[in-house]
Amino acid sequence: MDWQGQKRAEMLMQVLLVASAVAAFLAGYVRADFQFMLLVYAAGVVLTALVTVPNWPFFNRNPLKWLDAAEAERHPRPQVSAGAAAGGKKKSGKNK
Amino acid sequence: MHSFGHRANAVATFAVTILAAMCFAASFSDNFNTPSPTASVKILNINWFQKEANGNDEVSMTLNISADLSSLFTWNTKQVFVFVAAEYETPHNALNQVSLWDGIIPAKEHAKFLIHTTNKYRFIDQGSNLKGKEFNLTMHWHIMPKTGKMFADKIVMTGYRLPEQYR
Repeated sequence: MDWQGQKRAEMLMQVLLVASAVAAFLAGYVRADFQFMLLVYAAGVVLTALVTVPNWPFFNRNPLKWLDAAEAERHPRPQVSAGAAAGGKKKSGKNK
Repeated sequence: MHSFGHRANAVATFAVTILAAMCFAASFSDNFNTPSPTASVKILNINWFQKEANGNDEVSMTLNISADLSSLFTWNTKQVFVFVAAEYETPHNALNQVSLWDGIIPAKEHAKFLIHTTNKYRFIDQGSNLKGKEFNLTMHWHIMPKTGKMFADKIVMTGYRLPEQYR
């Protein structure tokens, strides 16, 4: 699951659960049946789990674009020079 | 949310959190119910009335208890516990409560009832104060909800009097 997919999965999870809770409460209250509320909510939870837990294809529409290995070797990371690093350490040591 | 296990865990924990909120809301909805229960108790007969060997008065009576408590039931009600108590004042105690009968109402269909019974529990005074005693019969009830807050209330019925003599 890619980054956008994870964001979408969490959003979907929260929206679906809250929506099924509201629907279940209203249904239970109107029918004056507590057990009916629990059944409707349980159905909502199962549906939410089925939609958001498995790694469905629509969570993978924005794959990360990694640089080619050969491309990365041609542009190495800039190295911090050894002298500057040592000087920094000494300074911070003195100040302490 | 990057793995199957994390997403399953997130769904489970958030679902239970919301379930708690729903239970709270269900309990809160009980406040919108304004019950109008009725009750009446008739004393059909004083079967006997005597002083025990240890000096305490005891009375046995036949009661006719009728009540309609169906308006106490809401969708969040599990059961209603109801009891009838004799309440009176003595020089020693400002309030004496003696439970004479109780019952559990498991459903709204059984909340309207008429019961003909002798006192289920013994009506014994702490001492010998019952001769000619004026007393109240009070119907108490406790509403046990499926979730949340428990409610209790009562109906006081006044104007009952015990005989002046043992019999």
